[in-house]
Amino acid sequence: MARVVVLGAGISGHTAALHLRRMLGKGDQVVVVSPNSKWNWIPSNIWVGVGKMTSDQVTFPLAPIYRRKGIEFHQALATALYPEGSSDVASPHVAITYTDPARVNESATLSYDYLINATGPKLNFAATPGLGPDGHTLSVCTAQHATETAARLAAVIERMRNGERQRLVIGVGHGTCTCEGAAFEYTFNVEHELRAAGVREMADVTYFTNEYELGDFGVGGMVFAQRGFETTSKMWTESLFRERGVHAVLQAHVEMIEPGVIHYEQLDGTKSTLEFDFAMLLPPFRGADLQAFDATGQEVSSEVFAPSGFMKVDANYAATPYEEWRAEDWPSTYESARFANVFGVGIAFAPPHQISRPRTSPNGTVITPAPPRTGMPSGVMGKTVALTIADRIKSGESVAPHKASMATMGAACVASAGVGLRNGSAAAMTMYPVVPDFQRYPETGRSLKDTFGEIGLAGHWIKYMLHLVFIYKAKARPLWFMIPE
Amino acid sequence: MDNANASIAAAPLPTGQTLRRRKNLLFQLWRFAAINVRMLTMITKGSH
Ligand SMILES: Cc1cc2nc3c(=O)[nH]c(=O)nc-3n(C[C@H](O)[C@H](O)[C@H](O)COP(=O)(O)OP(=O)(O)OC[C@H]3O[C@@H](n4cnc5c(N)ncnc54)[C@H](O)[C@@H]3O)c2cc1C
Repeated sequence: MARVVVLGAGISGHTAALHLRRMLGKGDQVVVVSPNSKWNWIPSNIWVGVGKMTSDQVTFPLAPIYRRKGIEFHQALATALYPEGSSDVASPHVAITYTDPARVNESATLSYDYLINATGPKLNFAATPGLGPDGHTLSVCTAQHATETAARLAAVIERMRNGERQRLVIGVGHGTCTCEGAAFEYTFNVEHELRAAGVREMADVTYFTNEYELGDFGVGGMVFAQRGFETTSKMWTESLFRERGVHAVLQAHVEMIEPGVIHYEQLDGTKSTLEFDFAMLLPPFRGADLQAFDATGQEVSSEVFAPSGFMKVDANYAATPYEEWRAEDWPSTYESARFANVFGVGIAFAPPHQISRPRTSPNGTVITPAPPRTGMPSGVMGKTVALTIADRIKSGESVAPHKASMATMGAACVASAGVGLRNGSAAAMTMYPVVPDFQRYPETGRSLKDTFGEIGLAGHWIKYMLHLVFIYKAKARPLWFMIPE
Repeated sequence: MDNANASIAAAPLPTGQTLRRRKNLLFQLWRFAAINVRMLTMITKGSH
């Protein structure tokens, strides 16, 4: 009998847990630890943030699903890993603290044979003074944040109806943020709602980003083949900004937020301010606050985790200049660099470097998007590690791991630009591979055949279909496993 | 650093026909099918 503990019930952890349960025998145990009682389809938080969906439409309770599937669930935060055991517990284990209202703040340890760290991002609002719902800006990162943001947007629209001009700023709140795609989506959903409310001409909408140019999205931009020409995601994105009358501030690092004012620095070193009546700025991400200890009780967190808090896995972490970055730097098995039988997947693994070219201002401020690890790659990593663990439990430790590198994996991204079954719109994009491979595709780093983008109503239908399909899958309804990650 | 807005102002605007196509139900139904096929092909290609 083997016991697999999964930390985190987000896209990657929940995917891993469901596949493990399906692949392992009844005698084997699958255990999930996650601080929230509910699962959240995060991509649809954008629609909650404009009041087009409720929190209940994008979340559901995890406990009934896990009960039905025979997965043990602990509503708790993992705090420390003991992969070699400790003086108290000989077997590898993890320390947890309950957030479950029935056992809140109680501590416990869970022993494991295999551990998956799928703890995703810690929303690091603290990196920028004044950033976030506890400061002076809004967020759509959780369903609860998005619900609050929708109420504030409604208030801003009401002020415009009363004849008050309003300044709306949407983007990222630090020079090293990722998830620019989500900020882009929220910008155009808000713009769409302003038009629907008949107040568009009363609003100045500004997209505020750390990207070097529009269309970078943290993946160094994309090149598409269209009508016999190569076009760039820059041109394509700028065209949408022009069509919808959205301004942009690029290459920006937010230093501080005061009520109604963003203080920021740009790549050329200039420092400026931008006033706002409504600002939704995404935070930078860090790894979860986990510590790790060896058999002697010595803390080894710095060997297990990168300074960003993300888990070091089978990547090449040697510091090399941009020109020397290679596709092979990216991990493919997600096994911990320090401990056997420990894996880090989804946003929780430490990337070897950015994907976009790194840039620093003359003042030494890094202003470069961190590499995104979107839903599809996160799900694929969760399944890949589940396959490796299932094989090893069934056939022995020496079985070769399954592999899925972001440098050999594609991603489909559908960026909503407005809700509505008849008048909605979205930019549907695919890229292959996510991490450009200039050895394999010397011209653009990616396959021109498999990298494309298109704007239209069909994109909105696809985004809505994905919402329905992924919630169906996460609820483990019949044949859920046939739905690709 | 206002090159961003200058660059946006110089970006090509979609023609009236492109804008109509982006909303035309029949054309979009065809694009829905075509994009889905494209995405599925890409997923299959990336699978391990
Ligand atoms: C607003 C927004 C919109 C997005 N839109 C898209 C999109 O359209 N398409 C797309 O592909 N991607 C999108 N993304 C990205 C996508 O949400 C992430 O790629 C995905 O959620 C990553 O999965 P994950 O499992 O690594 O992390 P998560 O899904 O964040 O899951 C992490 C889990 O770990 C839990 N956890 C945290 N700390 C601990 C701990 N100490 N112990 C135990 N559990 C812990 C969390 O509660 C959570 O359950 C969006 C992201 C945001 C913020």
